[in-house]
Amino acid sequence: MKLLWNSIMRGCRLLVSRKIYFVMMVIVPVLSTIFFVDLMKEGLPLQAPTAVVDEDHSSMSRSITRALGASQMVAVDYKVESFHDAIDKVRSGRIFGFFYIPANFEQETVAGRTPTLSYYTNMTYYVPGTLSFKGFKTVAVTVTGGVVQTTLVSNGIDSGLAGALLQPVVIQDHPIGNPWLNYSIYLCNSFVPGLLALLVMLVTVYTIADEMKRGTSIEWLRESGGSMTVALAGKLIPQTLIFTVIGLFIQAVLYGFSHFPMNCPAWHVWLGVFMLVIACQAFAVTVVEILPNLRIALSIVSLTGILSFSITGFSFPVQSMYGGVGIFSYLIPLRYYFLIYVDQALNGIPLYYSRYYYIALAVFTLVPLLGLKRLKKQCLKPVYIP
Amino acid sequence: MNIFSNIKLWWTSLYRVWRRELYLVFTDPGVMLFFFALPTVYPIVYTLIYNPELVREIPVVVVDSSRTAASREFTRTVNQTEAINVIGYAANLNEAREAMNSHECFGIMEIPADYAERLGRGEQAIVPFYSEMSLLIRYRSFVSALTDVQIATGARVQGEVLDAGGLITQAKAMQGSPINSEANFMGDPTQGFASFVIPGIIVLILQQSLILGITMLAGGIHERSRRNRGVDPMLIDDAPVSSFIMGKTLCYLTLYVPLAYYTLCLVPDMFSLPHVGDYMEYISYILPMLVATSMLGICLGVFVTERESSMLVIVFTSVIFLFLSGLTWPRYAMSPFWTLVGDLVPATWGMEGFIRLNGDHASVYQQTDGYLKMWGLTLLYFIGAWFLVRNYFKLQRSARLRNGNKTVAATLGD
Repeated sequence: MKLLWNSIMRGCRLLVSRKIYFVMMVIVPVLSTIFFVDLMKEGLPLQAPTAVVDEDHSSMSRSITRALGASQMVAVDYKVESFHDAIDKVRSGRIFGFFYIPANFEQETVAGRTPTLSYYTNMTYYVPGTLSFKGFKTVAVTVTGGVVQTTLVSNGIDSGLAGALLQPVVIQDHPIGNPWLNYSIYLCNSFVPGLLALLVMLVTVYTIADEMKRGTSIEWLRESGGSMTVALAGKLIPQTLIFTVIGLFIQAVLYGFSHFPMNCPAWHVWLGVFMLVIACQAFAVTVVEILPNLRIALSIVSLTGILSFSITGFSFPVQSMYGGVGIFSYLIPLRYYFLIYVDQALNGIPLYYSRYYYIALAVFTLVPLLGLKRLKKQCLKPVYIP
Repeated sequence: MNIFSNIKLWWTSLYRVWRRELYLVFTDPGVMLFFFALPTVYPIVYTLIYNPELVREIPVVVVDSSRTAASREFTRTVNQTEAINVIGYAANLNEAREAMNSHECFGIMEIPADYAERLGRGEQAIVPFYSEMSLLIRYRSFVSALTDVQIATGARVQGEVLDAGGLITQAKAMQGSPINSEANFMGDPTQGFASFVIPGIIVLILQQSLILGITMLAGGIHERSRRNRGVDPMLIDDAPVSSFIMGKTLCYLTLYVPLAYYTLCLVPDMFSLPHVGDYMEYISYILPMLVATSMLGICLGVFVTERESSMLVIVFTSVIFLFLSGLTWPRYAMSPFWTLVGDLVPATWGMEGFIRLNGDHASVYQQTDGYLKMWGLTLLYFIGAWFLVRNYFKLQRSARLRNGNKTVAATLGD
């Protein structure tokens, strides 16, 4: 017990010995959390800059322009005179799309010659592209509906019936958990814990493998009575504490300060973040056990840490990935934390349904036990390969 | 010393620094990994992850309280869309929720009991659809599929009602639609996810791998200095500061200009991503980004005192830079402060311009704004690097004096 205490003290002394630990364990995660929350505080980036090309100049085309101006999704920043101008503005990045009203539009509509309204959206930028598409489509549908209704009523159909005829079936979408379609809720809840996981893995690898690089690993083991378990515990327990506190800080900012949906008892996600920290540490220890070289181990955890933002399926679902690629998502602790967040905080379903995710995180912590012997051997004969 | 010998010294040191830097790069496996493996392998891994492009056949459970021919027809129509796969019926909402909680489905459609009756009476029928919101891309696929179903079913029912009512021919002729509307998607016409995200990511990979490599080299300088009592034997510190910075930059460009061909041209080709520009356009636009990034790397390198800590301090910035670039969260919705921070990252401009050159068939001329800003950043970081490097040279020289000039440099040769 005394040995463990000494080892922990040594671990603490290590953390205060260099500025880089304070920076990587406290400053970076705290500032990044503030960065993400503040960057996307609007929730949804409405009012995408767009343009209208009005070649008709009729009362009808002006009312369409006004309808676009009143739309929540798009802002009509430019009224340009030609298609060519509009394309030029898209290509130089000043607008994300434009609405095109052809010449003689009103005349042809009234005459029943079915003119075409067209709208162009730049899909190379997903969110503004999608928003301007939605805004344009709504206006196009409304304009068409207005004309149909006028025609039906003028043909003697009761205006109530005409209204129902326009849209006989309405599919009402109910986005459960995020009815505001808030983009920030979706991105912050995945990217901030992802960043924390990356930092935990980097710092864990660095603190262990750096002992081998400097050749202090022999002394590190000796001070822990030659027990690899005690040595690792002493080194990692102080870090676990700090990172868990940072994890709780992140949750406080997300669910407390920003009022993101939190539909479960708080301890469900507290437990989640604590287990995420331990699982990530265990993952990093496993990497060092397999590749006991500071640079290579750091490269591996950087690779997994950065790729995990993609492969854990925050933005593109694992179910839609190629099987051979998607399967790797199950090897990453972050994936299970994400699923716990979705089930518990976002959807608020009973803990029972998330049981396997907690178990998976627990399993990660057991894996490094298999390689302790190998790690000990490496620590006793530290070799530094640049 | 006359001006000509100064000029000569400048150019010869440029050459020496360039050659020494190339030697340092090719003798360092860690740096080689960043400079060559990272920009060649990463884009492929990323594209493989996102290459299925669209989210198809998302499992959905239907609660059909109407149980009529009309409701079954409606379910079939929904099932036929690309996005939705109806995996089964549930007796009621609770049973459907159970399926959703057990992660068997991501959407529930509830057809109300009076669905067919309302259609028959010519009233509006409302069908609620509940979507799970963990991923916005699923919700988006649902909504666009359901909107199409709504319009198609609407048109069919409209026709039936007008037929049954024996209404006037003109009204009948009007069904369909009096105005056509036509949506045109530019840049990424399939709206695929890889086509959207990869062109931006590859530019960011170029910047980040370059910075990682440069800072690791800088960490090497510090480590060699520590081993040699404050003097780095590999440092050419008699070079004028500006030619030292230029020589290093030239070395990185020698490696990255050909690499950019692979990353910017071959990768999109391999996976048939949107790709309409050509290499000459790309490289003439990306060149200032590479130069600015090299200078930025040299600036940052002064603070990296250990080879491996470059990874610690640089890797996480990729995520921050990705968001600052406006790829996920558009720049028009950022606060002025974050816009300014984003302005200082070369890749922000590199990504914006490259995406338009690559996807929208824009010309370099149309990217004047970003192009000039990148040269502006080059100037800014050059000045920064000039002061930092000059300071560092002073430290090295004083260390050398302290050691009484007995450095091991001579033994290493040049």
